[in-house]
Amino acid sequence: MSKQCTIDLACENISKHFTAFTAVDNVSFTIPKGSFFSILGPSGCGKTTLLRMLAGFESPSSGDILIKQQSMLDVPPNKRPVNMVFQHLALFPTMNIEQNIGYGLRRQGVAKAEIAERVTAVLARVGLAGSGKKRVEQLSGGQRQRIALARCLVLNPTLLLLDEPLGALDLKLREQMKIELKLLQKEFGTTFVYITHDQSEALVMSDQIAVMNKGKFEQVGTPHQLYYEPETAFVAGFVGDSNRWHGTITSIDDACLMLKTDDGLSFRAKVAAEQKLEVGATLEVFVRPEAINVSRTAYSDDDNQLSCTVQTLLFDGANSQIIAIEPNSGGKITVLMPQTSEFVNLTMGDELFLNWSATQTLGFLVEPENRDSAVGA
Amino acid sequence: MGNLGANARLKLGLWLLLMPLGLWLLLLIILPHFELLIFSITDPEDGAFTFEFYSEFFTEPLYWRTFLRTAVMSILATVLTLIIAFPVSFYIAKMLKGRSKGIVFAMCLIPFWVSELVRTFGWMILLRESGVISNFLQFSGLAAGPVELLYTDATIMLGLVYSSMLFMVVPLVSTLDSLDDSYIEAGYDLGGTNWNVIREIVIPHAVPGIVSGCIIVFMLSLGNYLTPVLLGGKDSLWFTEQIYTQFITRFNWEQGSAFGLMLLLLSSLIVWLGLKATGQSFTKTMG
Repeated sequence: MSKQCTIDLACENISKHFTAFTAVDNVSFTIPKGSFFSILGPSGCGKTTLLRMLAGFESPSSGDILIKQQSMLDVPPNKRPVNMVFQHLALFPTMNIEQNIGYGLRRQGVAKAEIAERVTAVLARVGLAGSGKKRVEQLSGGQRQRIALARCLVLNPTLLLLDEPLGALDLKLREQMKIELKLLQKEFGTTFVYITHDQSEALVMSDQIAVMNKGKFEQVGTPHQLYYEPETAFVAGFVGDSNRWHGTITSIDDACLMLKTDDGLSFRAKVAAEQKLEVGATLEVFVRPEAINVSRTAYSDDDNQLSCTVQTLLFDGANSQIIAIEPNSGGKITVLMPQTSEFVNLTMGDELFLNWSATQTLGFLVEPENRDSAVGA
Repeated sequence: MGNLGANARLKLGLWLLLMPLGLWLLLLIILPHFELLIFSITDPEDGAFTFEFYSEFFTEPLYWRTFLRTAVMSILATVLTLIIAFPVSFYIAKMLKGRSKGIVFAMCLIPFWVSELVRTFGWMILLRESGVISNFLQFSGLAAGPVELLYTDATIMLGLVYSSMLFMVVPLVSTLDSLDDSYIEAGYDLGGTNWNVIREIVIPHAVPGIVSGCIIVFMLSLGNYLTPVLLGGKDSLWFTEQIYTQFITRFNWEQGSAFGLMLLLLSSLIVWLGLKATGQSFTKTMG
């Protein structure tokens, strides 16, 4: 029983069909109390529809939404113990900050003196003490963000929904707000459901992430699991950067596969055992640029070693990348540029040795019926 | 030097662009009112300055009472129009989407393609003693004899509200259209009921539209001639009728001019008071 009570939200087989398409297709998941749960997916994957169903603005075509074991299907949005931070925040421009935060409390019929007290307290907690009399347009983007959070958190919701609220901020501020959001979530202990298309937001903040694609959850797991052990080709491609090829199995021995990619590279891979593999089968293959060891001299400790020349350098500070080409086959591979002294003078045409282990090669069997779409993507 | 030339040309361009507006203001607004002003303060006999036509307005109870009645009825008509037009506008702007929105909005507009005179006659056909409603009441046994529904204050009110509706709906739809749905959703999400959301989010947002709609409807009702005369008959006692009588029946242009200016001044005063009372400013509403 006590374990049961720690589940704040449970969705059971919920679907949402619109006349022309299915936005959410038979999704089930549970979120434990106090956790930061993200739903990560490309635009149009149905994550906004899912969030709106949790808030009560859409009703599911089938399935059930349980908050603390209570079905929410017949509960209108204004009666749910759920609050939402909207994409563009939706702070009421006709009210000042104090009135904005007090709006929900006034609805609950809280006494005036207590409203003032709680508003002051929550403003202090989000680090904006004393700005209660300001108008919304007087605040900066990051401050508005915190007010939008405070407006919801002051009501002590069971569940706080966030609809890509960081999307409108500039890069620097977004990085800062990510950390701030995570800290606020820990401090308040409220369960957050955060939807985003930005994998970095999801990876940094979340306890659990669900990767959503075409209305379905591809995988639910910790950021660590999604990054290191993606279960599907979509997750491998969507979370983190990757080199991505289509490859054919050329030989199999008990430990490893030997693969040959479409553009001619050959290397070894270890693939999850449950997949049925045979020589000639097609795989989608991923190798992360940062998983590849770059060296100027040859060594053969790793399973894979390619001898390449530098074709292009993409300078981006710490995230600079090298596009290397294997002269024999013409196949290309992207690797992260090490920032050590050895590579400071790296120029186009230099010779490099790229090493990585077979376990860091992720391979997913392309089902025959999926093949066209996979190649297209 | 060249810079100066360009500047002068820019100024000339600006003046040319302002010309139509300037001419319109001068020829159709300023000149006639100036003429009225001259008429109203000149004694027709000896051409000397006089204030008697204005004091006539305040000393003769019929005149200022007629004005008062007109103003009160116009305010009432404005309030009624707002009360009816607000839900209609909200429905058009927020509940309807895409094509049906265009169609319903057009349905509000279409009656105004017909001249006001014809529309008013339409009401007369419905409401007169031998009209459609009277006949229906007799036919269904609800009334024993013919029922006269014309020539009452209620009929005037009906006509005023009907003929002003569009001028309230258009500004309201455009302000409500600009209210992002997420504000309304946030209002519900934070625990608000329908009434809370309307009262605290929708209405404050729509205030500029409400104020401009009210100003237009009030001015149109106050200056309306056709509707009170046709639907109200002889007893309608509308202030514009007084002006008409002075100019046309009595040939007392001086008195008519004074009434015309009084109408302008007093209606401006009422609008100003209305703006003050609701804490709005004219520039804020129109900007």
